[in-house]
Amino acid sequence: MDNRLRTSDADRDRAVARLRDHFVAGRLTAAELDERLAAALNAKTFDDLRRVLADLPEAGPSQQEPRRLQPDRGGLERGYRLLLACYPAAYRRVHEEEMLAVLMTAAPDGKRRPGIGEAADLIWGALRVRCQPSRNGAEPAWRDALAVLRLVLPMIVLTTTALQLTWVALFVPRAFGHDSPLWILNGFAASFALIALALLRLQHAATRAGAALLIVLAYLAGETYLFGGGFFSGFVFAIPGPYILLALGLQIVAVTASPGPQRGLQLMTWKRAALTVIAAAAVAIISYPLTLVVIPVICAAMALSSSLGRQLLVLLGIPAWPYIGTPLYGSLLAPQMRLNITPLVRLDTALGVTGQAYLLPAVLLSLFAIAVLREFVRSRQLARLSR
Amino acid sequence: MTELPLREPTFLILTALAAGPQHGYGIMTDVAQISEGRVRLRAGTLYAALNRLTNDRLVEFDREEIVDARLRRYYRLTPEGARRLQEEVDRMRSTTTIAARRLRLLGNTQ
Repeated sequence: MDNRLRTSDADRDRAVARLRDHFVAGRLTAAELDERLAAALNAKTFDDLRRVLADLPEAGPSQQEPRRLQPDRGGLERGYRLLLACYPAAYRRVHEEEMLAVLMTAAPDGKRRPGIGEAADLIWGALRVRCQPSRNGAEPAWRDALAVLRLVLPMIVLTTTALQLTWVALFVPRAFGHDSPLWILNGFAASFALIALALLRLQHAATRAGAALLIVLAYLAGETYLFGGGFFSGFVFAIPGPYILLALGLQIVAVTASPGPQRGLQLMTWKRAALTVIAAAAVAIISYPLTLVVIPVICAAMALSSSLGRQLLVLLGIPAWPYIGTPLYGSLLAPQMRLNITPLVRLDTALGVTGQAYLLPAVLLSLFAIAVLREFVRSRQLARLSR
Repeated sequence: MTELPLREPTFLILTALAAGPQHGYGIMTDVAQISEGRVRLRAGTLYAALNRLTNDRLVEFDREEIVDARLRRYYRLTPEGARRLQEEVDRMRSTTTIAARRLRLLGNTQ
């Protein structure tokens, strides 16, 4: 069919119907649908229509047939679809059918399920696609999450460190027995390191500096925990707990992923920054058990509203793990290590009140419930729109 | 313009597309043929590479067809992609010419 021929009303209506089908199937967002509907209704030639439907598969009965024509390949196709689910949703919307076609064509007759090599290759491919920027030039979501994390981590650590040291300085004046006032700086050493890493624009220098700092801090921590103190044992507050080490490691990853703070600053509005600081301060000051459950759950609920927030939650869970895990598994660690972990948040005392057993499951269940509720609400909205 | 040299799978994909627009499975068989069976591309690797090449604007979408009730999407080389491939060929050719000449000298003196 010559694509320069003009379209009729019937041709345009067919294109519109197919666009609606694709929207209901989830291949288009509402905004994209509007845009393409306008383009389709204004299309004068078949070229115009083809452009509107360019990256959408042909809908209709022809795609239903393959499952009936080759019934014994159903298991193989299901296996491939399961593996293809590892790819990001936006990518799958465009490429899933095409990749499935290639996989099924390449599979010899009589093959029942995907091989291990194929499975590994598809999972590896999914990882690589997730790390690549998406088609319209936007950075992939994990990069964005790491860019924001690079700014958020220092804020949280600085807030909690400052509050804890202030508390100790005000209410426990004889805690240190050091004459030099420099002990305060030691306490902030980790925070300053994180802030410097966050703001440094030179990607490789920052990574190297961060790695060197991490090695030094790890040595200090190892000295204290494993050997009960060494040359630097006087610098009590410079010895970080596992919280700081994990945070520092994560910060280095975040710095590597985004070469400067610009992207993080773009995404991080003042409102979000203020909320982060307030939440960290509240959790650090108020060791009342209810706060420790309510505030993280509220923050998590707000974060779950975007895919960026979800990924940030996962990333922030990494340094938080020792503070959730240690009280639960504390009996497994050597007594020396348990005593030497200085929590920035007084989780251990709080947990003693609420009961260690159900804090973590309660938090996780709440997050899961909120996520399920959101999906439910979103699917109801979609259904209402398509009617 | 000095850019990083292309990795072999990427180079082979661009070579395959230099013959004309092809679909995924066509690229896989073509690459196996060009490399004489040495490089066997799998779907995951192929599509990750195609995604990157499309983002770098070396490759673009050509057209779509339904064959055997399955979707088949064709890709083609962009002018930028052709230029990049040519650059890589020139780079490799100058290196291999020097190597071949030296080997001949080596063969002659022994």
